[in-house]
Amino acid sequence: MSMSERKTIDLDQGWDFMQKGILKLKNILEGLPEPQFSSEDYMMLYTTIYNMCTQKPPHDYSQQLYDKYRESFEEYIVSTVLPSLREKHDEFMLRELVKRWANHKIMVRWLSRFFHYLDRYFIARRSLPPLNEVGLTCFRDLVYKELNGKVRDAVISLIDQEREGEQIDRALLKNVLDIFVEIGMGQMDHYENDFEAAMLKDTSAYYSRKASNWILEDSCPDYMLKAEECLKREKDRVAHYLHSSSEPKLLEKVQHELLSVYANQLLEKEHSGCHALLRDDKVEDLSRMFRLFSKIPRGLDPVSSIFKQHVTAEGMALVKLAEDAVSTKKAEKKDIVGLQEQVFVRKVIELHDKYLAYVNDCFQNHTLFHKALKEAFEIFCNKGVAGSSSAELLATFCDNILKKGGSEKLSDEAIEETLEKVVKLLAYISDKDLFAEFYRKKLARRLLFDKSANDDHERSILTKLKQQCGGQFTSKMEGMVTDLTLAKENQTSFEEYLTNNPNADPGIDLTVTVLTTGFWPSYKSFDLNLPAEMVRCVEVFKEFYQTKTKHRKLTWIYSLGTCNISGKFDPKTVELIVTTYQASALLLFNSSDRLSYSEIMTQLNLSDDDVIRLLHSLSCAKYKILNKEPNTKTISSTDYFEFNSKFTDKMRRIKIPLPPVDEKKKVIEDVDKDRRYAIDASIVRIMKSRKVLSYQQLVMECVEQLGRMFKPDVKAIKKRIEDLISRDYLERDKDNANLFRYLA
Amino acid sequence: MHKLGRGHRDKLQQFITITGASEKLALQALKASDWHLEGAFDFFYSQPQLKTFTDSRHLEELYNRYKDAYVDMILADGITLLCNDIQVDPQDIVMLVLSWHMKAGTMCEFSKKEFIEGLQSLGIDSLEKFREKIPYMRSELKDEQKFREIYNFAFGWAKEKGQKSLALDTAIGMWQLLFAEKQWPLVDHWCQFLQARHNKAISRDTWSQLLEFAKTVGSNLSDYDAEGAWPYLIDEFVEYLNENGIIQNDLINDSSLKR
Repeated sequence: MSMSERKTIDLDQGWDFMQKGILKLKNILEGLPEPQFSSEDYMMLYTTIYNMCTQKPPHDYSQQLYDKYRESFEEYIVSTVLPSLREKHDEFMLRELVKRWANHKIMVRWLSRFFHYLDRYFIARRSLPPLNEVGLTCFRDLVYKELNGKVRDAVISLIDQEREGEQIDRALLKNVLDIFVEIGMGQMDHYENDFEAAMLKDTSAYYSRKASNWILEDSCPDYMLKAEECLKREKDRVAHYLHSSSEPKLLEKVQHELLSVYANQLLEKEHSGCHALLRDDKVEDLSRMFRLFSKIPRGLDPVSSIFKQHVTAEGMALVKLAEDAVSTKKAEKKDIVGLQEQVFVRKVIELHDKYLAYVNDCFQNHTLFHKALKEAFEIFCNKGVAGSSSAELLATFCDNILKKGGSEKLSDEAIEETLEKVVKLLAYISDKDLFAEFYRKKLARRLLFDKSANDDHERSILTKLKQQCGGQFTSKMEGMVTDLTLAKENQTSFEEYLTNNPNADPGIDLTVTVLTTGFWPSYKSFDLNLPAEMVRCVEVFKEFYQTKTKHRKLTWIYSLGTCNISGKFDPKTVELIVTTYQASALLLFNSSDRLSYSEIMTQLNLSDDDVIRLLHSLSCAKYKILNKEPNTKTISSTDYFEFNSKFTDKMRRIKIPLPPVDEKKKVIEDVDKDRRYAIDASIVRIMKSRKVLSYQQLVMECVEQLGRMFKPDVKAIKKRIEDLISRDYLERDKDNANLFRYLA
Repeated sequence: MHKLGRGHRDKLQQFITITGASEKLALQALKASDWHLEGAFDFFYSQPQLKTFTDSRHLEELYNRYKDAYVDMILADGITLLCNDIQVDPQDIVMLVLSWHMKAGTMCEFSKKEFIEGLQSLGIDSLEKFREKIPYMRSELKDEQKFREIYNFAFGWAKEKGQKSLALDTAIGMWQLLFAEKQWPLVDHWCQFLQARHNKAISRDTWSQLLEFAKTVGSNLSDYDAEGAWPYLIDEFVEYLNENGIIQNDLINDSSLKR
């Protein structure tokens, strides 16, 4: 039995058959009444293509069919699709386009299935574009290229309508824009070039118009609210129908038009700009300002600059307020000078707390704002008030907190917190060495006269200072605190020694505090002629101390001593708490009824200044233990003094204060001297390592080396250089006066 | 006999007058510089001086004539006598130049060694030769390099023995003497400034740098570098000039001169 031969299909005959199938598809797409393709229909169409492609030449019609595949789309587009689109406009055109594109994709899918055999063999063999691509390309070349401009404009128009608050069909826009993306077939060039570029341009123009009105009409906060809202909405727009790749570009345009262009105008609005917001503590608006301006290039620079100006002005206002307050107090001749300075420090701390919170919260810890805050505080924190440097003011403030009976009553926690803040302020002060010296002076007074309220706080602040300024900064102070601890132990040993040695008898109660030279401020050490009772004490303690160490020398500083004396007055006995100097003077009157000024000076072996101060406190001040002839308010070298046996007071125990010496001048002089040494040492250190160095380089390195403790004046450095030249440490180069050489 | 044109003869005479050189040396210098006086001076001063033979015995006699009766040195009286003999005022700046040649350690004193070796280096062993040499020594002040050496020598020479700095009055006197030779327009202002604002001794560094300042910075101070390595005192001086409007006056003067 033989197989019957397959009948050869002629091209025209075959294509006629295919035409019927394509027509059916078109009718379906057009929504005309047309039954769906049955599987039999599909198989017949597929088989026809198969047969026409597999017949022997010259009846192999692959090429012709491939061409006709394309022509099918082109014919349909030209005859049906384009007319339906051309007759429509704006939103209706967009809807039609979306429908046509959807239909087109269906048509491509179905025809590709009918012509599938071509993809598998003919197209593969010839490396031709696949059927799918051919189909999409037809739409792009015939429809997209003609209409994309109009489509773009329509889309942009709808976007602008939405910006004006109108309701639009977002899904429609998404579908339209998807066409731009899909037309690119994996590339974004059509979306970017044919739509996005124009959209961005329109966005710029739109917001430029808006901004030019808003900047005139709105306050800064209102403007920023609008800007923030616009950015939010544009971001929303991307989420709903723009391609996600557009977001950074779109936001950048909006930010530029709303913020960059009008940054200065906005920030400097007279009644609502950055300065006004800071003045009025509008933290929410400032936070928004930070968020907005942090998005534009260098946008935070003017904000931080205004912030710095504002903080500086606030600080300078505090300085002026304190100056005025001090002047007022002096005019009233009230004796509370010093209190105003303490109030000043407290206010500076509060100011720092406030604006540090701004930096941390409103400005999100941004480095620019930390820097602005630092620079602002550095400006006014180095101004000083009423002749007192800020270094001194801070030291005094600490003293007030740490000493007994200070003007503020703070809890332990509040003390720790306040000290922490003071130490932070110290970072802004150039003259840290001056602070250290004043602090040390006051620390010494607290420790030696038992004025310190709490040992733990004393050590705690030293720990904080050490963390911030380094171990060298606090080493002397720590030494001082340690000395006091050792002194207590030493006193215990001394008392044991006295118990164990009946022959060692001071005769009166004696407490000695041994201090390490170098830790403590320098004190005058006069060779005061002690009363016999006290000489005995000194000798006993020396013997004790020799038993502990044979190689140390004791220097006695009587100016720091305190005595308790029983004063036997006619009305009653009064216990007097006096300094050693005062006690020595008073004890002279145990054996003499009347003494002249010069006799007292000679017997005590003190200087005029000390004797005057001493006698004034005993005869001209509140408690007149001595009577002075003549009875004047000031001490002169021709005066005479007698014991005032009639003296009395309602208290049984009184402290007779010695007027304090003004130490400010001495501290400043000491610091200046130390600075000279520090500069010399720095210069020698630098030149020793460099051997030859230019003047500018030397100055620069010197300032850099010393900057942690104080800011050396260039003139001061120049003077030290000249002094070192005179002392043959340095010389000028013979040929270049700007060059210095180290001399070994 | 070689005949010279009148122009050349005038230049020869002028050179001899200024330098005190012999006619032979003068002629040599002028020919070497193609008869330009400035070049001739350069040539003359750059030549190593041929040491003229000096008679040791005569030098001893000179020294003994001026030496102090009790100390083996020439002191103020001896110097006064010497000035009288060579017909020079003791205050004349040429005595500073002479002291420089002698490497004198201090003002108003010459040790025997300083005196004899100094005169030897100058080729002097008689009072006649001494007098002949005066114009030469005076002319050395015109040479830039020698002036600087003499200027810097003056500091050590004029200061008190054992001191590091130069007393202010002495320094002012020396500056007035020296800048009479160098024509620095600000010298009077400088001296007034020192008396008004400084009133302390002058360091060697300030002394030597002032000469550099006078040479390198114009009298209107337009090229003064406040950031430079000038001594502190010179910075203060410039500030003083500006405060007192002296620079403005100088500017006006300059303008007047230009008109």
